[in-house]
Amino acid sequence: MWNRIGTIVLAGAASIAIASALPAQTGPQSGMAKSAPAAASAPTSPHDFSGVWNMHALPAQRKFLGSIYTAEPPEMTPLGTEKYMAYKPSNGPRTHSLKETDDPVLKLCLPPGTPRIYLQPFPFQIVMTPKEMIMIFEYDHTVRQIFMDGRPHPEDLTPTYMGHSIGKWDGDTLVVDTVGFNERTWLDRDGHPHSDQLHVVERFHKVDGENMVDDISIEDPKVLVKPWKTQLNFQLKPGWDIMELACTDNAAFEDFEK
Amino acid sequence: MRNTRVSIFAMCVGLLALAPLAFAHHGTANYDTGKQITVKGTVTGFEFVNPHVQIFWDAKDDAGAAQKWQGELTSPNRLSRVGWSKSTLKAGDSITITGYPTKSGSHEIWIQKVMTGDGQELQTGGGN
Repeated sequence: MWNRIGTIVLAGAASIAIASALPAQTGPQSGMAKSAPAAASAPTSPHDFSGVWNMHALPAQRKFLGSIYTAEPPEMTPLGTEKYMAYKPSNGPRTHSLKETDDPVLKLCLPPGTPRIYLQPFPFQIVMTPKEMIMIFEYDHTVRQIFMDGRPHPEDLTPTYMGHSIGKWDGDTLVVDTVGFNERTWLDRDGHPHSDQLHVVERFHKVDGENMVDDISIEDPKVLVKPWKTQLNFQLKPGWDIMELACTDNAAFEDFEK
Repeated sequence: MRNTRVSIFAMCVGLLALAPLAFAHHGTANYDTGKQITVKGTVTGFEFVNPHVQIFWDAKDDAGAAQKWQGELTSPNRLSRVGWSKSTLKAGDSITITGYPTKSGSHEIWIQKVMTGDGQELQTGGGN
């Protein structure tokens, strides 16, 4: 109870602080944070993930979560290391300029893939139906379907960027299993690679009405020595809408950079 | 006249405490994140575009010579969520910009702080 009241007070104070910092001509915008009334009506069912969620990096994660899942890079097989060293990432310790990088997201606007899509610093909206849980990512309006109707993965999957996802409940935890990836994506923004054997297992659960945790295990025996595990935290943003963001606009951006 | 005069100075900052988050779009290869500079001037352009909002402004060096500067912020969506819009800045506005300079020394800044002519600081983060 007191936590809830504290959250509402803080949200209200934050809104006032934000509003007071703005020039007079700046009006409310679509997607702008709102305060108490919306937060108070946040869904609380542990099986309802509906709403707009935004990544919340924990203090210990803030230095690296912009581009990689853990402070230390994953242990890679010789093939993994070979692929990693061949890439020219824009982010991370092997940073290259925008003109030099071969990052498939930055250079070709390819879908980031799963789970790299979470590292794009934009929110996503979850829509739940009896058939599927749909994740609508603000970044390039990428859509991910997680089938919840009990179907298995198809026998002869056509590889895709985001993979084929099926979900089932383990108590109040939603376990999402994703396979069937093509090899045109990177695992993260630092350029860690994967193969067609990539298998992503996620365990989503709600900590409370406004917070969700995703425990992720990234498995790829061709490229990773052992599963690469991380935990991502997301906060519900009741006043936010998903906005438009078209990757194709980025193509003109290199002209700005010297 | 006074407010268009440039004040360029490098600041030694506690960089470990202020380690920059990654850009929404690309990496930081072009920038020297080991120092910050402040450049004061008059806005000549404001592009509220993806992937990074751009500010263009004119400044003058200490000898009075004109300099053209540009700087980039995060994305329009993230800035919208902390109150920015395409009308937040306009040509003619006085502005003071602080941020990371380019390694090449070109007149570009990865903007960390924006102060308007009336002394208001605009948030440059947003989102996370």
